[in-house]
Amino acid sequence: MSLTAVAAPMRLDAQPGEVIERGRPLSFRWNGAPRVGFAGDTIASALAASGVRVFSRSFKYHRPRGLLSASYHDPGCMLQVDDEPNVRGAHRRLRDGMDVASQNTWPSLRFDVRAANQLVGRFIGAGFYYKTFMKPQVLLPAYQSVLKRFSAGGRTSPDDPRDYYDKRYAHPDVVVAGAGPAGITAALAAAESGAQVLLVEEEHDLGGHLRWGGTEDLARLHQLRDLIAAQPAIEVMTNSVVVGRYDGNWLAIVQRELPHACERLVKARAKVLVVAAGLIERPYVFQGNDVPGVMLSTAVRRLINLHAVRPGHRAVVLSANPEGDAAAEDLARIGVEVRRVLDVRRGEDLVAARGGGGVRSVQCHDGARIDCDLVVTAAGWTAPTSLLNMAGDKPVYVAEAARFLPSRLPDDVLPTGGIAGTGDTDALIAHARATGAEAARRAAGRGEAVRIPALPAGRHPEHFIGRTHGMVDFSEDVSSKDLLSAAREGYDSVELVKRYTTVTMGPVQGKLETVNAVAVLSRATGRTIGETGTTVWRPPYAPVTLGALAGRILEPVRYSPMQRWHEAHGATPLVAGAWIRPDRYGDPAQEVRNVRERVGIIDVTPLGKLDLRGPDVPRLLNLLYVNKWSKLDVGRVRYGVMCAEDGVVLDDGVTGRLGEDRYLMSTTSSGAATVWEWVEGWLQTERPDWQVHVIPMTTGYASMNVAGPRSRELLQRVTEGVDLDPEAFPYMHVREGRVAGVDDCFMWRIGFTGELSYEIHAPAMYGLHVWETLLDVGDDLGIKPFGVEAQRIMRLEKGHAIVGQDTDGLTQAFGAGIDWAIKLDKDDFAGKPELVWQRDRDDYFVLVGLQPEDGSVVPPEASQIVEGRNVIVGRVTSSRMSPTLGRSICLGFVAPHLRAAGTRVTVQLPDGRRITARVTEQHAHVDPEGVRMRG
Amino acid sequence: MADIAAPVARSPIAPPEPTAVLDGWLVTTQRAVGALRICDATPLSKVLVRAAEDGAVASALGVELGRSERDEHGTLVVGSGPGEWLLLAAPGSAAEAAARAPRPGGEFVTVTDFTHSRALVRLTGAESPVVLAKLCAIDFADAVTPNSSALRTSVAKLVTDVIRDDLGEERASRSYLLHCERSSGQYLFDALVDAGVHHDIEIDGFTASTV
Repeated sequence: MSLTAVAAPMRLDAQPGEVIERGRPLSFRWNGAPRVGFAGDTIASALAASGVRVFSRSFKYHRPRGLLSASYHDPGCMLQVDDEPNVRGAHRRLRDGMDVASQNTWPSLRFDVRAANQLVGRFIGAGFYYKTFMKPQVLLPAYQSVLKRFSAGGRTSPDDPRDYYDKRYAHPDVVVAGAGPAGITAALAAAESGAQVLLVEEEHDLGGHLRWGGTEDLARLHQLRDLIAAQPAIEVMTNSVVVGRYDGNWLAIVQRELPHACERLVKARAKVLVVAAGLIERPYVFQGNDVPGVMLSTAVRRLINLHAVRPGHRAVVLSANPEGDAAAEDLARIGVEVRRVLDVRRGEDLVAARGGGGVRSVQCHDGARIDCDLVVTAAGWTAPTSLLNMAGDKPVYVAEAARFLPSRLPDDVLPTGGIAGTGDTDALIAHARATGAEAARRAAGRGEAVRIPALPAGRHPEHFIGRTHGMVDFSEDVSSKDLLSAAREGYDSVELVKRYTTVTMGPVQGKLETVNAVAVLSRATGRTIGETGTTVWRPPYAPVTLGALAGRILEPVRYSPMQRWHEAHGATPLVAGAWIRPDRYGDPAQEVRNVRERVGIIDVTPLGKLDLRGPDVPRLLNLLYVNKWSKLDVGRVRYGVMCAEDGVVLDDGVTGRLGEDRYLMSTTSSGAATVWEWVEGWLQTERPDWQVHVIPMTTGYASMNVAGPRSRELLQRVTEGVDLDPEAFPYMHVREGRVAGVDDCFMWRIGFTGELSYEIHAPAMYGLHVWETLLDVGDDLGIKPFGVEAQRIMRLEKGHAIVGQDTDGLTQAFGAGIDWAIKLDKDDFAGKPELVWQRDRDDYFVLVGLQPEDGSVVPPEASQIVEGRNVIVGRVTSSRMSPTLGRSICLGFVAPHLRAAGTRVTVQLPDGRRITARVTEQHAHVDPEGVRMRG
Repeated sequence: MADIAAPVARSPIAPPEPTAVLDGWLVTTQRAVGALRICDATPLSKVLVRAAEDGAVASALGVELGRSERDEHGTLVVGSGPGEWLLLAAPGSAAEAAARAPRPGGEFVTVTDFTHSRALVRLTGAESPVVLAKLCAIDFADAVTPNSSALRTSVAKLVTDVIRDDLGEERASRSYLLHCERSSGQYLFDALVDAGVHHDIEIDGFTASTV
């Protein structure tokens, strides 16, 4: 006897359709013990071949569970594989070296102490959560803590290496969901009719049930596969599933286990969807139907014919259809002792299966008790109409066929194969061929309609529930008794029963249990199955990982031309929207002192910049800003504040006139996109007759602010074509010239930091050159770079507000303390009516400068200003320790009665302390007269 | 005046070593040999023309929205937006291209040198639509976006002008120009390389003296 035979006692000799590669043995571990299998095995088939019968414990009662469907949707075979939880062991192909373990068991799969739940099962039936853990409310956290320990699922670690999840888009003419014989045929027919086809199959191989069929089926399978391989217009995706269908045939498809990615989400826009999902065999409800060793006929046929695994030694078969008969024949062929076949069509039935860790016997309808280790049920089929439901279909129940059939579908969705009706393989293929051709025609939008032959509903016994109670939902441990109990409590609607008992809400999502649940409920309520209806199947059809939904992480980022310099010089990055900015290079206070005493340089490239051209620009500026713009001479710069139509401050910035019909508008960094849209919105919808072109140039220019008393001296060394004398180039003016050898640079004399400063806008491709040149040439002047934090300190020292920080979504312009800029005598401007009302109300909070009396205390931003015990009368919007003054400084909002200079207000600190601050004469704490920046 | 070195133009996309200066731009001298190539084409001159969508300028340029064509000077004229045309020309020729832009009297028209404002990437190879399909929801099939198509869309969540501009004899080599706002050029380039890594994408140095 070979080593493999010893290690895999249930492995059969070679089977005609087997998918295992006997020349490629694989080793793996199961709950720590070494095991062997072959390439092509699933984890479950390899374990079954080695004699394993119990794979997991059930969700609630921790009952031992074995194979049921031996497919992706097998509820008893969710396993931990290496660091990956909830792996579908009956689907995942075996890999060498896998470490496989059961999950949701303690201390072991064999001895699981939580199986004690079965002893108290009568007290923890359906809905017990809702009744038991409601009161007292104070204990809810404790309940949650305990219940979490009972939750199913494997383990994962935040330290696990990140897997690669991919994403792509596809635009096929036709998507065929399901690649059984009907799906393959439909795909071929569509492709032959000129369509580009995407054929999606959940299994690893094409062919559906043909794969585990007899000689004739296998011959047909090979023929179909050859045709697919020869058809270039068909893209085949195996181990993939259409998980959702949305409006316009927008399909979500998940591909699994790709060579370069563990999963890929494909977003496909299909002109026509062909649903060829086949049928799913449903379990039979009877006592002991979840004991390991009770399997569906398709599971048995998969094990035997695909993986050459003997499912048992002595079997009893319950058959209601030819597929069940075929399973009995397969078992007999491989030498399993088929001790009895109970034929439902002759009124025979199965009453109970007995056993703990595995079936030991069954009881039949006639009282016979038969010893066996395998029970096979073939009780009928469920049509997985999920994709049809998502397309708006409400399948109808046909009693004589014991199944649901599609009813009404949109033109761009066509069903075929077993989901559409009943017939032999030839009939299904004929239907599929016509469906594929018609799908191609509809996709092309031309040609004569193809007649699709009708498929009959077929006949099948209605055999859902036996004479005893059994498990309905194997994922959630919901039994037929639970459903009857829920119905007795008044939950007589299928949707209510679902939510009360959680039936169909587990990982299988109703594929195995929906129809049985409906049958139990209909029996309880006296309604027919058709009257009871089904729950609604919504996306996703199959479980989807969060990784697959996220795909590759694509988050645009923006860099200034000087970014690499900042990184090389140790700048601490600041994420500001999509921008990465240098927050500081060292101590921000030192950076401030260097600017105040010598000269500093900061990268302000993210400042929004809009190039405005045309004769109507002044009208536009007058419309959008609260102040006046009619008389801005060429070479001048003016500060402006923009309001939305509700008078709320939208943005601020300076605009310079570069030429007769050319202006450059700057915006805040965060407001650049908003302002561009705002300007274009006005021009395109309200003033289309105005001649203005707006061109966003934010990163067309590398922007840098050279600030400090020695900034002029520095620029005189590198500037050509611009007279920097303060008389020739005074404050709030703009000049164009050559800086550091770069032409077409703009220089603005403005002063956000409150210092003598020049804002240089150089063509971005030369930004790094200009930056490095200034630092090089200014070395002896003490030039140092400074970051955003130092800039924020200095602007606060100067009392310059930041829109969005010192204003909020309710701050109208008068509240921002810029009364001087608001020109209500203009004919019109955005927000004017609201501002007129605001002025007249005079009841608004106002932004003021605040000086804490204890200068050593910096009240955190957003600290509340209070009166009495806890009446909020304002808040601190900005606060810093001023390196220039050696004390804390603030801006803040205060109620109208507190806005007079000299008023003392109380600031509540987060730690509960209260400090006193004084309202200052103006916002500026340093150089309120502006001597330094005008110098 | 201080003694200042001559400025070298830099793309927002960092050129892999080795590098050289070509037409005033710092570029990589790497050469791709594979079938799928990506090239930083930012040095190409870019000029933006804005005018009425149905006016004399539109007639003179002769390129509709969503299409691109080369004019007699070899400039690629792209109908990039309503009343908006992008002119792509050889490095250093922005002024000439701008000067040639039609300016009929009586029509409001602006012509702007955009070269320093945008990043431009060329993706070439039969697999390029597959790479783009990982980043963009547009259908890049011939029937939908044939050669000379131009569209503004989202690529890797970034607003991007995509221009199909096949290369080679009879334009047989599938190629796309991707044009985006400059500060996100490195991001777009990295996203394309990442999407193409399993298709053996290679970085190719900029050599073009024309578009």
